[in-house]
Amino acid sequence: MNIKSSIVLRVRIAFILVAIFAIAIFYRIMVLQVSERDVWEAKAENLHYQMRPISATRGNIYAGDGSLLATSLPFYRVALDPMVASDEVFKAGIDTLANKLAAFYKDQSAIAYKRMISDARSSKKRYLILNRTQVGYQEMQEMSSWPIFNRGRNGGGVLFEKVEKRYRPFKDLAGRTVGFVNEDDYGAGLEYSFNEYLSGKNGEALFQRIAGGVWKPVFDAADVKPDDGFDVMTTLDVNIQDVAESALLRQLIAKDAAFGSVIVMEVATGHIKAIANLQKNKNGRGYGENYNYAIGDQGLTEPGSTFKLLSMLALLEEGKVGLSDKVDTGEGVYKFYDRKMTDARTGGFGVLTVQEVFEKSSNIGVSKLVEQNFGHNPSKFVGYLEKVGLDKSVGFQLIGEGEPYFKKPGSKLWYGTTLPWMSIGYEAKLTPLHTLMLYNAVANNGTMVKPIIVQAIAKGGKVDTKFETEILRKKIASDKTIKQLQELLEGVVTNGTARNIYSNEYKIAGKTGTAQKLVDGRYTQRYYTSFAGYFPADKPKYSAIVVIDSPVGFNAYGGDISAPVFKEIADMIFSQDIELNHRIPSKIFKASATTFPAIKTGKVDELQMICNKFGISNHFQGSADAWVRPVSQSKSIQWQQKANTEKTVPDVSGMTLRDALYVLENKGLRVIYQGKGKVKDQSIPAGAPVQQNNIINLVLG
Amino acid sequence: MNALKAWFDRNLKGDPIIWFIVILLSILSILVVYSATGTLAHKRAGGDTEKYLFSHALYVGFALFLMWIASNIKYKYYGGLGKFLLMLSVPLLLVTYFFGSAVNEANRWFQIPWTNIAFQPSDVAKMALIATLASLLAKRQRNIADFKQSLIPMILVVGLICLLIGLANMSTAILLFSTCLLLMFIGRVPLKQIALLLLVGGIALSAAMMLGQRGGTFQSRIASFANKEEIPYQAEHSFIAISTGGLTGKGPGKSEQRNTLPHPYSDFIYSIIVEEYGLIGGVGVLFLYLALLYRGMRIVVSSTKPFGGLLSAGLSFALVLQAMVNMAVAVGLGPITGLPLPLLSMGGTSLFLTGFSIGIILSVSRGDHEDQLDAAPDQNKRRKAFQAA
Repeated sequence: MNIKSSIVLRVRIAFILVAIFAIAIFYRIMVLQVSERDVWEAKAENLHYQMRPISATRGNIYAGDGSLLATSLPFYRVALDPMVASDEVFKAGIDTLANKLAAFYKDQSAIAYKRMISDARSSKKRYLILNRTQVGYQEMQEMSSWPIFNRGRNGGGVLFEKVEKRYRPFKDLAGRTVGFVNEDDYGAGLEYSFNEYLSGKNGEALFQRIAGGVWKPVFDAADVKPDDGFDVMTTLDVNIQDVAESALLRQLIAKDAAFGSVIVMEVATGHIKAIANLQKNKNGRGYGENYNYAIGDQGLTEPGSTFKLLSMLALLEEGKVGLSDKVDTGEGVYKFYDRKMTDARTGGFGVLTVQEVFEKSSNIGVSKLVEQNFGHNPSKFVGYLEKVGLDKSVGFQLIGEGEPYFKKPGSKLWYGTTLPWMSIGYEAKLTPLHTLMLYNAVANNGTMVKPIIVQAIAKGGKVDTKFETEILRKKIASDKTIKQLQELLEGVVTNGTARNIYSNEYKIAGKTGTAQKLVDGRYTQRYYTSFAGYFPADKPKYSAIVVIDSPVGFNAYGGDISAPVFKEIADMIFSQDIELNHRIPSKIFKASATTFPAIKTGKVDELQMICNKFGISNHFQGSADAWVRPVSQSKSIQWQQKANTEKTVPDVSGMTLRDALYVLENKGLRVIYQGKGKVKDQSIPAGAPVQQNNIINLVLG
Repeated sequence: MNALKAWFDRNLKGDPIIWFIVILLSILSILVVYSATGTLAHKRAGGDTEKYLFSHALYVGFALFLMWIASNIKYKYYGGLGKFLLMLSVPLLLVTYFFGSAVNEANRWFQIPWTNIAFQPSDVAKMALIATLASLLAKRQRNIADFKQSLIPMILVVGLICLLIGLANMSTAILLFSTCLLLMFIGRVPLKQIALLLLVGGIALSAAMMLGQRGGTFQSRIASFANKEEIPYQAEHSFIAISTGGLTGKGPGKSEQRNTLPHPYSDFIYSIIVEEYGLIGGVGVLFLYLALLYRGMRIVVSSTKPFGGLLSAGLSFALVLQAMVNMAVAVGLGPITGLPLPLLSMGGTSLFLTGFSIGIILSVSRGDHEDQLDAAPDQNKRRKAFQAA
């Protein structure tokens, strides 16, 4: 046979082999389709597989200083596939495991756990939830070292199924601002507004549904890995937030008010340092953060006298009035068309300068001036709203910002009385945030910045998106006007309606507001009180607004209700802010040279080190780890060793509790104590023999 | 119709039936991959199911283009090219094993530096080894039984490459080794020596099982195949797919198991074919592969040079054997391997290399013809020399 025919023959043999292979495949298909058909069709109906999401870890929300406002903590549901462990592993570990489980959960005996697991194993169950209680990460780590569990998922069958829970280290602090998201992806606050960033992208994995409607992952790792959420870095300051909330709460309780809001903002940057919203709970007891009145729709109200700042801005900018011009406010009642306007003081203020009109918050004065100057052309007045950027919402970072409402001249709703009333903050609606923006702009020398609450979006400490301060209006009025407005606002606190919050330490500028509430179309005897302003007036750093709705009792004026809250917050910020507060302390406590400082009993090496540092001469002969008591000798200290021999109770008089505990417990005594301070008395006298586990009682004082 | 045929004759040189089979399989591939990538598209491309349709169609088109190019190169160059690629693939395999990117915990992919292109060096090595082996066999036909001169060099080459591949990809290595043995059998290596090689291969396999990355997986797959009581998840769904397909199938795009079967577009594409196109579709695919092999074998018969015949036989068997193994896995005749179904599975670079190797087969099928024409005068002399050898 020649080469070629030999090759051809061999190729044919090989081909026949492959053909046989093909026939075998064909045969297997026939087997599967004909004789085993029922088996597989039944299986197809019983198997329920599904791609199910694996949730990504939600991002954190941080305060401006990096403290955590909200985070997600992992918890684990502990389940077991009892069929995974081999017989040896199972037999060797089940008793210890059952003991550990019983000791951990403390709800069933070890025997019950052992029976539960063994039963599941013998009935060939593939999934058993050991306990419904979810465990934390540390506990999960600990459990992973238990027998059977330590073989992991493939060797022992343990399944730690992650469940995430939202946790707020500061509890309800800024509760509504931090917000929430429910399962339908609806919610409020930062959690909701930044949900897209925070939530990340869920992964997916194949799950099998098993008895009891539980879904069990088929493979160990996810098919599509989840992409964890971004962190949201806010501008909030936990300290300011805390004082804002507590100051507001105290006032709300004192005045039994319906709700209140506070916003604190940094003047130059528009960074919001605190937003507090407290509302009387539905059951009438206590207050809670249930709605963001500072920003949201429901916070839209007639602002009242705080709006007079805009009227003054318009008047001054037109150049038609000067601060010392005279206005006759009459006897406290003035009729515009068919409607009477009244002033706060019965009998009226009489003739006032423009400055005084503002300081005393005379309604008649302001509306008369506005009516005189803009009555023929109200559009011009309304034009100022647009000029300062108050006519529209500003696209604040939290979802749900209220839209300012103003009547338009020429529209059906525009009456002859609209302009005078609008000039004192009625027939218009603003949220506290929008009012604050105007005050902030005045403080910021005319530059209106957009308030921001989120300064950056980050992941793993790396900033992804940074939100810079946005300037809405470079100049809302001329420098001269702004200067005059600042003077007016300072005047309110020095001479006007907010005299009660005047402070010697630093200057506050601001304006009170008291608006009658419109309920069902009628003005009632309920008030909406507010104070908006900034401090320190000479070099503004923070602006803030406080609103309190429907306080009960006399003196329901902004100056009496809201301004004190403003003052409390400002005081706290001022006292803690080193930048603001650079006074030199007038009194420095100096130790008088003649008296020795009081020194407590302690260890000699430590006391010697301290005394040497301060240049106090001291002397001691003895070992370096002795316990000593100071004995003053004219200008130096002689250390006297305390009896501290092995078998006797030491003398601990004069020691701090910490040291006494250390000494006594080292001797094998158990210590109980009363009082505070240094040890005055001990129940077992020094020198008595130590008996193990004796109890010694210390009296401190 | 005639115009089309004329165009084919003019442009697609080589065995027209092979062209026909390949184009048919390519169309089927696009259809089934489109259907099977629904889950993948949902997972990765955010529901853009056409993404994989277009990319796969593009890859198939490029593979056909490569096939056309390869069919236009004289096959005598492939011996040298094979040797060159084989030498190149040794460092590539090593680099990939130690530094390559891992899919399913095995380093099989080599990323070409500064590009986004990754390929499996084992694919290249496979093709290169078969070309080299065909050349070695062809040159030693006169003294093929000589142990020292013929067998030893072949063992060294085959053993080294299979060992390197086996470090990361055991199934491919075993399949390649088997293909080489078959090729050596065809190339007239005595059966005794082949038996000896089987023994050596067994030893090498156990070594790789101890040392390689995938030893554990390999063992567990063998164990789970041997364990008749518990059927692995993938196999279970593959069987359900095949069983519920029936005679005519559920229809294109109607597969249900594609959602739960892992890799329905590559490892288990045959199950999806049977599920959607039924027994008829499944047998049709089997037949197409056998037909391809038959045509490859016909080339051996008609070829005048041993190298051409052995090259064609080696490449056809490599391709069809892999197809058979893949289908055998799907129907439960073998342990799960993770080998794609050549010409049908999704996967760019392996598709290109398959196209290229079919191009080589086509080149042999026409290359001989051209040789005959070129060498018409001394044709008899040549044939005599060949027969005398």
